[in-house]
Amino acid sequence: MKKLKMSESYAGYLMVLPAIVIICAVALWPVVRSFWYSMFDLRLNHPAKSAVYLSYKLDMEKYVDTRFYVEGTLKELKENTAGHKGVEAAAVEQQLGTLHNQLMQSEAIASRYEPVKQLLDDFKPVSDATLRYVDLSREKARLYLNTIAEVTERLQALSTAENDAADQAVELMEEFRLSIMQPNFIGFGNYRYYLEELKVHNGKPGRLGMALLNTFYFTISSVFLELVLGLAIALLINKSFRGRGLVRAAILVPWAIPTAVSALMWKFLYDGQTGVVAKFCDMIGLVENPGILLTTRMGSMLSIIFADVWKTTPYMALLLLAGLQTIPVQLYEVGQVDGATKLQRFFKITLPLLKPTILVALLFRTLDAFRVFDLVFVLTGGGPANATETISVYAYKTMFAQMNFGRGATLSIVVFICITLISIGYVKILGADVLKDQAE
Amino acid sequence: MKHLGKIMAVLLALTLVFSLGACGQKQEPEQESEQKPASTSGADSETAEPEAKTPEEPVKLIYARGMDSTKANIKIIEAFNKKFEGRINVEFREMPSDTGAQHDQYVTAFAAGGDEFDVVDVDVIWPAEFAQAGYSLPLDKLIQKDGINMDEYMQGQRDAGTFKGKLWAMPKFTDGGLLYYRTDIIDKVPQTWEELIAAAGANKGKEGTKFGYVMQAKQYEGLVCNAVEFIAAYGGAVVDGNGDIIINSPETVKGLTVMKEIVTSDFVPNNITTFTEPESHTAFIEGQSVFIRNWPYQWALGNDEKQSKIVGKFAMAPLPKGDKKAAACLGGWMTIINKNSKYPAEAWEFVKFMCGQEGQKISAIDGGNAPTYLPLYKDEEVLAKSPHFADQGFVEGLKAAVPRPVSPIYPKLSDIMQIEISKALAGEQSIEDAVKHMDEKMKAAVAEAK
Repeated sequence: MKKLKMSESYAGYLMVLPAIVIICAVALWPVVRSFWYSMFDLRLNHPAKSAVYLSYKLDMEKYVDTRFYVEGTLKELKENTAGHKGVEAAAVEQQLGTLHNQLMQSEAIASRYEPVKQLLDDFKPVSDATLRYVDLSREKARLYLNTIAEVTERLQALSTAENDAADQAVELMEEFRLSIMQPNFIGFGNYRYYLEELKVHNGKPGRLGMALLNTFYFTISSVFLELVLGLAIALLINKSFRGRGLVRAAILVPWAIPTAVSALMWKFLYDGQTGVVAKFCDMIGLVENPGILLTTRMGSMLSIIFADVWKTTPYMALLLLAGLQTIPVQLYEVGQVDGATKLQRFFKITLPLLKPTILVALLFRTLDAFRVFDLVFVLTGGGPANATETISVYAYKTMFAQMNFGRGATLSIVVFICITLISIGYVKILGADVLKDQAE
Repeated sequence: MKHLGKIMAVLLALTLVFSLGACGQKQEPEQESEQKPASTSGADSETAEPEAKTPEEPVKLIYARGMDSTKANIKIIEAFNKKFEGRINVEFREMPSDTGAQHDQYVTAFAAGGDEFDVVDVDVIWPAEFAQAGYSLPLDKLIQKDGINMDEYMQGQRDAGTFKGKLWAMPKFTDGGLLYYRTDIIDKVPQTWEELIAAAGANKGKEGTKFGYVMQAKQYEGLVCNAVEFIAAYGGAVVDGNGDIIINSPETVKGLTVMKEIVTSDFVPNNITTFTEPESHTAFIEGQSVFIRNWPYQWALGNDEKQSKIVGKFAMAPLPKGDKKAAACLGGWMTIINKNSKYPAEAWEFVKFMCGQEGQKISAIDGGNAPTYLPLYKDEEVLAKSPHFADQGFVEGLKAAVPRPVSPIYPKLSDIMQIEISKALAGEQSIEDAVKHMDEKMKAAVAEAK
């Protein structure tokens, strides 16, 4: 009997195992991966730092290709310079030749050399990574780098004018140097960099600090406004009146429009020359002139918040409406019999019973608002004067405009930490609330 | 019941096996056909059979460039497809007009080693970055093989395409900032920025105009172009020949001060700091502005009767002078071949056509773009359509355009300039502080990139 019970509980674990594996794969793995990348100096547009390297590697494609050009340039240098300099050029050639022979002693490099050269001569990329990258020992990599540094110095001494053969050779040596992939693990270097950006200098926070402030400002104001307006709308469409179905459907329209599209729409509405909203604000004296909306720090931030409120209030209203419908009508009837005013009924019955729904709705919206990207990107691109740059926009610029994936991953981790803290906060309040209910 | 369960289990297992098997079968031929073009590149002769089949079907090339308000590039592609009918077929992908947004899409595709684009038009500021990152194919050997005389191309553009001694991008057309003005309002073209400020203020409102001057001042790449023109006009510079940052100078401060004076004046639109090219050229062709600073494409657009209200009522001139000289920001577009393209030989045919005499002629006549292929400045058909190409001042102005910093980390440098200058224009920091911050941040970025 006991044995059966044991196997049953194992079977139970077995049943939930796939779910746990899937959760780990889709939820935790990206975070772990981002954290791993954030520990590296990873820059996709830097030839020697475009991937995670834990050991020294030689990029055969670059090495072979550069070697072709070096041979030509050194030949030119030898022929065009007489006397002492010609001798020096020959000596440099000799030194590079020795280095090449030392490299070719390794079976891995020698066997790859010809196939790579063949591909390059046909203008084909070396897309096979095992063919392209060869592991190098630390000693050999050091020897290589030292030799290149020495040769660079000797060539610099030979250069007499800008862009002469020796000068070109120096540039090619830089290519040689970048053919070696060095380990680019930097630990918490990226985090230290951003910690510096958090500090306040001359009364102004650094870029990350500013981006975080902008994000929090946007999140708190937009979510607060959405809650108030959403609750009002939910109360309204919870009442029965003619055409309620139509109103309920119509209210969802802003939410159904893709954010990028509605952002473009608002861009035209806010436009200082032709925008209707801008003109209206000007007419009622809200702003000095219609151009202010998108060109000042205050104006552009408020414009973005307003566009977001317009778009996501329906979502809030929908969630709250669902909560309102779970409140039994009898409670209101009892309240009415006891002589409670409408206001009292709202504060004593509706709000307390709606509290869990409100908290869940707030959690959803806060997390959403914190990651705001598309609205800002389309409406202002982070400007003017970087006044509307949120943390997601900053991460986007770092990752996809500057291709700095190490730094970008670090910013993603910062977002992750903030989101986690917000979630924990909400869950604490929610959890306490539920526990209290149960105790009662 | 027990039996039923077992039978169900077996059935389930069987369906799984079959569906997996089916998947495997379906995938195989697909994979094969995808790999073939790539493997023909190798030395192995196993794939000789399919190779014989390829010439019958034209090779499909994907060519991408940013939004074109003229239709010149469509005509180039049509002409090329006609010439190479049955051999090569070029398909066009339109990208956003914002050059920064284009850049980000390309680098995302290239960094993943993708081959979805074969040929791509690049802004003059990208070749160094693309070359350093290994996205583009060096063209020297191809040029040598086909005996193309590069001396027939404009020097500034060739320099922009050259990085570490190799040419990575073929010059297509050149751009420089130019001043356009309404001939029905302005008699005497302003020669200096001071004169322009006076003229724009005095003539605002005439002939139904609303503004005196429009430019590009949003926090984006175009802001850097406009700023570089002011900086250079007053004798400043961003980088020197060795790639060292030399932006911190009184000349830079002076140039940017004039820029700020214009941006905050009452003769520009009140939302000038949201203006990119489309906003500014729309204002000009709608007849709303007396002056505009824009690229050469404004000429063809302004004379397009379908869109423009000012056909025949405007002319162009070099940008006004500062203390030192008149400076136009070097712009323009070049063409690269994706290093991972499956068809480099065919892609080179297309690049050769588009950037050669035939393609550049179409681009000049239908697009109003200034050629980088110098013999076209003597071509009668081109001159008939764009008489200003014969104007020595125009050509010399473009030839002497000042480049933006040539650097493999250009996007980072540009980002720094955009933010600091935008802050200065918005009045959040003084010009002196902006210049000091740019200097510090750019130097740090350059040091870090080594």
